[in-house]
Amino acid sequence: MRQGFCQRVWGHRHFYAFISPFFILFGIFGLYPLIFSFYLSFTQWDGLTEMTWVGLANFRNMIHDELFLISLWNTLVIGVLYIPPMFLAAFVFALALNTSWLKLRGVFRAAFFMPCVTPMVVVAIVFSLIYSQDSGLLNYALGKVGELFPSLKIEPIPWLTSDRWFKPSVALLLVWRWTGYNMVLMLAGLQGISTEYYEAARIDGAGLFQRMWHITLPLMRPVFVFCAIMSLIGTVYMFDEVFVLTQGGLGGPGVSGINFGLYLFNTSFADFKFGYASSMAYTLAFFVFMASLLILRLRKSET
Amino acid sequence: MGAGRKNRTRLLAHLPMAGLAGLFVFPFYWLFISAFKDMGQIFKLPPEFLPNPWVLGNFVRVFQETHIVRAFVNSVVIAGGHVALALFLCSLAGYAFAKFPRAPGRDKLFAFVLATMMIPGAVLLIPIFVVLCKLQAVNTYWAMIVPGAASAFGIFWMRQYASENVHNDLLDAARIDGCSEFQIYWRVVLPILKPALAALGIVLVIGIWNNLMWAFIVLRTESMYTLPLVIYLLHGEHRTPFELIMAGSVVATLPLIVAFLVFQKNFIEGITAGSIKG
Repeated sequence: MRQGFCQRVWGHRHFYAFISPFFILFGIFGLYPLIFSFYLSFTQWDGLTEMTWVGLANFRNMIHDELFLISLWNTLVIGVLYIPPMFLAAFVFALALNTSWLKLRGVFRAAFFMPCVTPMVVVAIVFSLIYSQDSGLLNYALGKVGELFPSLKIEPIPWLTSDRWFKPSVALLLVWRWTGYNMVLMLAGLQGISTEYYEAARIDGAGLFQRMWHITLPLMRPVFVFCAIMSLIGTVYMFDEVFVLTQGGLGGPGVSGINFGLYLFNTSFADFKFGYASSMAYTLAFFVFMASLLILRLRKSET
Repeated sequence: MGAGRKNRTRLLAHLPMAGLAGLFVFPFYWLFISAFKDMGQIFKLPPEFLPNPWVLGNFVRVFQETHIVRAFVNSVVIAGGHVALALFLCSLAGYAFAKFPRAPGRDKLFAFVLATMMIPGAVLLIPIFVVLCKLQAVNTYWAMIVPGAASAFGIFWMRQYASENVHNDLLDAARIDGCSEFQIYWRVVLPILKPALAALGIVLVIGIWNNLMWAFIVLRTESMYTLPLVIYLLHGEHRTPFELIMAGSVVATLPLIVAFLVFQKNFIEGITAGSIKG
């Protein structure tokens, strides 16, 4: 038996040779970091001096770390502000592109998707010009509206420098950036729905609304779930856009512009609190994992 | 008549779509024309929707005064190296997982690969950085090329494609002809995987070309900077040279935009194929 097993392994040596490059790299840049990071989360370490074991202190400190809690809150608010409109826009665009009568579908699809292949740093800088309080296009346009309707008393809005407007401004940027991605996924989902369902429904006299409610939405559920999980992960670990718009957390509207991704980055690579940062990363990974499981349950129920 | 009215509604529906598409394209337009303005024109009120005059000097200056040419080369090398390595690893392992069904432990190993997809990258940042320091690979191309290349998602995708499209008869025929196992992978399997490789390659290129955070962490000297990093650092300068940033941004953005417009179908397939199945 033992001999047989070894022979079988040897007989498949090419299999092991072919998968080993992946496993070697994964061991170095995946598995080892995963374990090391877990260990780090119980220590205090700046990467240079001696590592000290602190037990659960990092996790306890998190609860009292105001900046950590603020960053979570900001992340949540941004997510709530941008994900629903993005989903709605993506779904409406996908429905439109899925019709046979819409002309220039390729052009529309390209226009909506183009933001997704653009470097985020470029997106953020262009938007910061458009958002600029004194000379930005957005306030200029608002000013024009204000001239037409003086009773509205429109003032220039400090989009990126005030507590109140920073998060909506980021949300708008994110809607612009990610709608096309979700639209493409939803469009693929719509195209996967067999037309037979719709024909059968039409014969049964189902109207547009009924077809949407009883066919399209239930069958799109797996795609929505996938988009929701991607958005969740993307929001929690969002970094580039806030990093650029707040100039590393130093500019912008102060603490109300700091999201979790930025705080994690600063804790790691500006303050070099490797232990504390690891414990934060693990904590968030746990919550993201749980939330993903919760969202995945939606996929199963009712279908 | 009902049909006529329906047609008119449909025709009218093009208007909001066109308006929204215009809004989505507008930031690109603004980026592009801003690259042809000097600093004063960029912040001028009322804004110039067409530069007056068109300033061509920004592109000359961004090449002369910044490290953008070097950064462009770095970005190309890093993107090329990263994508080539990832495609090689993923196709080799994906093919093995698809076509060696009787290898002991195959299913367990594959389940393990799938499980690694759940690992969030944020948890790994610090340890990978520490590993790269130990390997003395910080501030080298390797630091950008290698860490993300072992992509479980890529293996999953290649395995899927290989098991559907690579036929056993073909492999057996090649074996009878005396090909070595690696030759079979290289000469027989890889050409069949081409469409999937193209799609996965596109997804990987978008990620690595636009990467800012990791570049910021591991690239330390100007000669190593990538395009996003150069642009970010210009933005952080005391008297921000927006006219140069805009010109540089066009340089950083255009390659992928052009590639996307030319290979639009492959891009869309890449984005969807990888996700719906996963």
